[in-house]
Amino acid sequence: MQIRSDILRIYQKVHLWTGITTGILLFICFFAGALTMFKTEIAAWASPPSHVLPQVPVERLDELLAKAQAQHPEISQGFTIYPNDSRYSPLTWSQVSRDHDVHLNAAQWQASLTPEGELITQQVVPNQLAELIDQLHRTAGIAGHVGHEQLGVLVMGVASMLYFIALVSGVIFLLPTLVKTLFALRRKKGPSRFWLDTHNLLGITALPFHIVIALTVIVFAFHDQFYDALNQTIYKTPPSFMPRTAMQAPAEHPPLPVISEVLTAANSFQADYQARSITFAGLDGPRAMARIEMYSDSAMMRGPLADFLALNPYNHQVMFSTMTAGEQGIWGRIVAVFFGLHFGSFAGMAGRWLYFGLGLSGAMLFYSGNLLWLEQRRKLQKQATTPVQQPKRVRIMAALTVGCCLGSVVAIAASMVLGKWLAPVLDNVNYSYLWIYYLGFAAALIYSFSAGAARAAIRLLQAGALLCLAIPLSSLAALCLPSLGLWAPQTPATLMVDVVALLSAAGFAYAAKVTYQRAVNGDADSIWALTPPTTPTRVNRQLSQSS
Amino acid sequence: MSLSETRRPSKEKIRPDWISKTAIGLVLGFALALALVGLFAWFGPGGIEARDKYQFNMWLVAPIWLSVVSLVYLFHSAARALLWLGGANLLAWALLLLLR
Repeated sequence: MQIRSDILRIYQKVHLWTGITTGILLFICFFAGALTMFKTEIAAWASPPSHVLPQVPVERLDELLAKAQAQHPEISQGFTIYPNDSRYSPLTWSQVSRDHDVHLNAAQWQASLTPEGELITQQVVPNQLAELIDQLHRTAGIAGHVGHEQLGVLVMGVASMLYFIALVSGVIFLLPTLVKTLFALRRKKGPSRFWLDTHNLLGITALPFHIVIALTVIVFAFHDQFYDALNQTIYKTPPSFMPRTAMQAPAEHPPLPVISEVLTAANSFQADYQARSITFAGLDGPRAMARIEMYSDSAMMRGPLADFLALNPYNHQVMFSTMTAGEQGIWGRIVAVFFGLHFGSFAGMAGRWLYFGLGLSGAMLFYSGNLLWLEQRRKLQKQATTPVQQPKRVRIMAALTVGCCLGSVVAIAASMVLGKWLAPVLDNVNYSYLWIYYLGFAAALIYSFSAGAARAAIRLLQAGALLCLAIPLSSLAALCLPSLGLWAPQTPATLMVDVVALLSAAGFAYAAKVTYQRAVNGDADSIWALTPPTTPTRVNRQLSQSS
Repeated sequence: MSLSETRRPSKEKIRPDWISKTAIGLVLGFALALALVGLFAWFGPGGIEARDKYQFNMWLVAPIWLSVVSLVYLFHSAARALLWLGGANLLAWALLLLLR
């Protein structure tokens, strides 16, 4: 395909600027986002087994609720039921407000029944590791609020606008050579070519995914502004968001809804869907509602884990649903598709693994983009006859890329390992996750600037390998030495976290080895070369021994 | 893609006009997105009353807006971008306000 060269040059520039300004932020969000595909598994992995009470048979939920309310009258203000899901306690309640923030200190009550029908209750501070990884995914770790919105979310909204422009410009200036070079991974023509081919292949094959992610993030960040702008310009009277037709509860109702009936009503709402959890809210007022998470592994779901259904808890009238079939629900379903395509909440576990892979491939896309930027700047230096010092902006960008990208990966791994060892010692381990992440991230960044990108890349990859290896080793220690107070995975899902950590350890070790070899054997004028004066490399040592 | 050969034999190069084109794309692109979404909301399938279409309409803003911003650098100059996008805005808004 022919495109005029002036257009190509302009879009190359657009691509470079939008890419280099957002690559690092997007890397962090994509890596953390890949992890959030297994948020429930990570949450279960990080929580001590004692933080979940045994389940009760579904037909005994009403008995459980009545007995718990007799002891804890505050339950009637609101509570959550997880029917038949051994990852959760059957009945929980807390006073925490529902918003996008992570509540590190929030206590939760849990209740269950012994087989003899005796009430068991306990109060725990739920582990927030998975929530914090999700928050990192949404904000790139940028703290603070603007109004009721998190600053990081808005920053990522702007970054995603640049990301969308980077996608369009990347495609435009790739088009002329697309067919010829897409599947050519030219290793022989030097590392720069290889990275360029990798970058193009990752970008083009996952292009629909990237377009969806970019646009959905813009909407997640700026939907309030979009709604306001539309309300003030195109509508005569702004439509209401949610028809509140069925809001009136019957004047007289029993103090507590009948769980088994609500559950039956929910499960018969739509074929293929099962209630995952039911949250009852506002039971004492006119806005009583049962908010139900509905799970299906064949549908495109509106939320990250489920679709939503709201029922009147007493007469089971439908108040709201994100899965209404037919003509009536068509727009709601299309919108649910946008959400589902961001969350990967379709096709059950297969969809989650697919999105896990796409998330990591996206992170690689941005990382390789930064490497290309560095390589292109390096070419300018090739004319020099004496050993070259890379330009300052190249050294800074290389240190930033390595420090931030690998730093965030290593810091997450460190939080996971250290959090597990600290859990038996501390009352509330949630704050230490934040400390470990931010200290680890800062340390990696400082080290990257002081030691240089080449050395930092090797060391951080090695650190990542060791920390990931420590995850399954900690489980092993828990099995061998129960007195430590650690715990090992007890379900296939949590065991998977250990297995993936072990595989990641191998991956990091391999990457560290390859990076080291390049640092020693690659071109000496590269930003990735370990400079001889500061450290004698293995090659140099061998040379000096033989002479 | 051979517009230059048929229409503009002189083959004048595109002027980058980075700042002005970006600003025009951001502002007029957003205004155009609102108008087009308005037309879709009122006269597209389902009309203005269809349930939950309100949400779908909001979702349309970002792709239209960002497509304009991404492609605004194709205009020959900032002045031409202003002319075309301004004209498109006038047309879309006039249609919306007259027909609504």
